[in-house]
Amino acid sequence: MGQLRKVWIGLTGRFAWRFRAAHLLRAFSRTEQGSALDMFAACEATPRRELRRKYFRHALDEWRHAGVFKARARAVGGRSATETGVDEAGVIVEHGIIGGRTLFERLGERDFLAFVYVAEADAVEQFEVYAARGLPDPDTQAALSVILKDELFHVTYSKHELERLTGAPPTTGTAAVVGAEARAAVRRIRWSRLKEGWLRLSLDIGHLMTSLWLTLLYALLIPPFRLLARLEPAGWQAPSADPRPLRLRLQSEA
Amino acid sequence: MARVILGVSALYHDAAAALLIDGKVVAAAQEERFTRLKHDPSLPVRAAGWCLHHAGLRAEDVDQLVFYEKPLRKFERILTTSVAAFPRSALSFPRQMKSWLGDKLWTRNRLVEAFGLPSAKIGFSEHHLSHAASAFYSSPFERAAVLVADGVGEWATTSIWRGGPEGLTPLAEVRWPHSLGLVYSALTAFLGFAVNEGEYKVMGMAAWGQPRYLEQLHQIAKLTPGGGFTLDLDVFSHHWHPTRASTDKLAALLGPPRAPGSPIALLEPGADAGARAEGQRHADIAASTQRWLEDALLHVVRHAHALSGEDALCLAGGVALNAVANHRLAAEGPFAHLFVQPAAGDAGGALGAAQWAAHAVFGQPRPAGPFRCDLGPEIDVGHARQLADDLGFPHDEVSGEDQLAAGVAADLLAGRAVGFVQGRAELGPRALGHRSILADPRGAGTAERVNRQIKLREPFRPFAPSARAADMGLFALPPAAADLAPYMVIASPAADQLRSEAPAVVHVDGTARPQAVDPGREPLYHGVLDAMHAATGLGVALNTSFNLKGEPLVGSATDALATLARSALDAVWIGPLRIGRPSARALGE
Ligand SMILES: [Fe+2]
Ligand SMILES: [Fe+2]
Ligand SMILES: [Fe+2]
Repeated sequence: MGQLRKVWIGLTGRFAWRFRAAHLLRAFSRTEQGSALDMFAACEATPRRELRRKYFRHALDEWRHAGVFKARARAVGGRSATETGVDEAGVIVEHGIIGGRTLFERLGERDFLAFVYVAEADAVEQFEVYAARGLPDPDTQAALSVILKDELFHVTYSKHELERLTGAPPTTGTAAVVGAEARAAVRRIRWSRLKEGWLRLSLDIGHLMTSLWLTLLYALLIPPFRLLARLEPAGWQAPSADPRPLRLRLQSEA
Repeated sequence: MARVILGVSALYHDAAAALLIDGKVVAAAQEERFTRLKHDPSLPVRAAGWCLHHAGLRAEDVDQLVFYEKPLRKFERILTTSVAAFPRSALSFPRQMKSWLGDKLWTRNRLVEAFGLPSAKIGFSEHHLSHAASAFYSSPFERAAVLVADGVGEWATTSIWRGGPEGLTPLAEVRWPHSLGLVYSALTAFLGFAVNEGEYKVMGMAAWGQPRYLEQLHQIAKLTPGGGFTLDLDVFSHHWHPTRASTDKLAALLGPPRAPGSPIALLEPGADAGARAEGQRHADIAASTQRWLEDALLHVVRHAHALSGEDALCLAGGVALNAVANHRLAAEGPFAHLFVQPAAGDAGGALGAAQWAAHAVFGQPRPAGPFRCDLGPEIDVGHARQLADDLGFPHDEVSGEDQLAAGVAADLLAGRAVGFVQGRAELGPRALGHRSILADPRGAGTAERVNRQIKLREPFRPFAPSARAADMGLFALPPAAADLAPYMVIASPAADQLRSEAPAVVHVDGTARPQAVDPGREPLYHGVLDAMHAATGLGVALNTSFNLKGEPLVGSATDALATLARSALDAVWIGPLRIGRPSARALGE
């Protein structure tokens, strides 16, 4: 399983670094920024003092990484100036808030730690493969190896704290997780991440299919209506009169 | 029984929630402050939850939820535009349809799910109506004309209303794709800044340039007789392109666009002559854009005056946040009184939607007294103390407002820049002494230090001053702008005394964007300024929003400490608690 994943990362990575390096670096930057937000949220919410300190430091690391990746993305080449979306609302990043609840709130301390451990271990694996081959330039290489050190710390502390929290004798370094409860939490998180990955993949495929269908519809169905649709003329127009009483207007979506 | 109305803006720009009880604004907050995603457009679940919690209410206590626009009308506009722009809209059509068919078209259902309310309690205002209501019902005017100008709502991009005891009456509107806001946005993108975020940068940059391209802009965005305007739809492409707001024809007129993130040579000491010339061209484009917007707004405002016959004007919509243009409207425009609702962007739409329902639909009386922006959450001092302890930040505490004011002033006078977190958070983009960074504006190097080391942002961006209300003579505010003084929404020429004594808060063109601090409304902040006045003869502070570049205003105690840790800020005052910089060891370095 692990070996298969490494081969896959290596193959896709080589392609991505060669043709879409800036895109990849920007995606990293967003992910790092997202985990910084998740960690800050955990720092705000946790009742455990020793963990609060670690979450805070962890958040600061991820925030710094986000900046490094962003700078590298810029250096290896980005979009043209006018490619900034009209509808793009500033700098949106993805993170763990779903339905108004943070990752920490949804998982609770134990599973949150397990999540951090699993996510960070995956990131280390990915970065190690990238660092070993095929990075676009020495500066990105150097940046990645500095970041890798922080990521290793994230793996070890989260594992250590997870074991401690679940009453197992805490281990250090990159040894396997000990304690039945901790291992179960890690398994659960791995499984849910797998499911999420699968879900994302099918969503992506769904999106692609929808786009293709919509493009087809566009090409076939829209032309006849082309002549009927007109853009509004410029200049001041009288507002369209709405004869409905105010309460009815309030109720309506149109 | 009290009538509880929850206003909601979301799914486009800044999501926000506002809670009105019997017509009185009890709470309002932006979702971004909770999720930390700047301009977060997702349904404001946390913001609304907080509003209700603050009022001691639960979802079932809400009598009416009002969404700030009409989704079906907006969909109609998007569909019509896509069809009319065939085949150029080939890329934008699938994107738009996906987001509408998969999501936005079902806004009612999503609101039902997210807020746990029955469908019968969910209502819809209109985008510009919400903006107009947020400005009019927050204003001190019994009757007024209202001008709304933003990118676009459902169809309207610019609209004129009459507000009075009878409600809000629409008088005229300009429709998509002709939009003042989108011209400014297109030029913002052309200058390499993010749309909906970089507009302030263009305004700040404008002061460094000359409007050498004004004529070109007036060619492609013409002001027409009768107070209207028309865009050259071969130059602007927001109505058909998914990501570009202008075509290559704009570059043919103005030269190549600036690449996002490329250094701005304007203020870089080491820049060579070529880079400097390029930087100057960008500043000149910014200056031309700014001047064009001012010309256009004056043109439109004169029409609003003729049409409404009112002598007071309320402004709302994102364009109303252009403080430089607001000065020209107050100084040269036909209206005797001007009011700008400080949360003029889409976050204010949540407020306006609820205000419209309360006052116009349900006939509840307007509350008396001037509008306050501090409608958001408070940071619990006990929690902040605990956090500072746990994270190893040194801290101490004063007792009483006098000591607090003296302590903050002492920090400032010692040359320290401090975070100032007091009371409830402001709604909208302006920090008005509740989530602010303060510094002593007397040193010439202060502005650059705060920009580069504290806010980590571009060195050309200006800072605004807060001054005691009694010292407003330091600014040449036009008489029509008297009601704007508390909100930092107008940039006016600074008096000589301010220019010579407080250079950090005077922009390169000699203007400043002041906040008048009233002793009755803001006693603590006024106390700080008083103490500074006693020591230096100048009761003015540099006041900038408490956030880093690209981040929302700080929301939680963690946000405040994180900002302290990541910048060169010297301390943060949360209520009476003074938190100093942590040692490197405490941060694990
Ligand atoms: Fe990282
Ligand atoms: Fe990490
Ligand atoms: Fe708007």
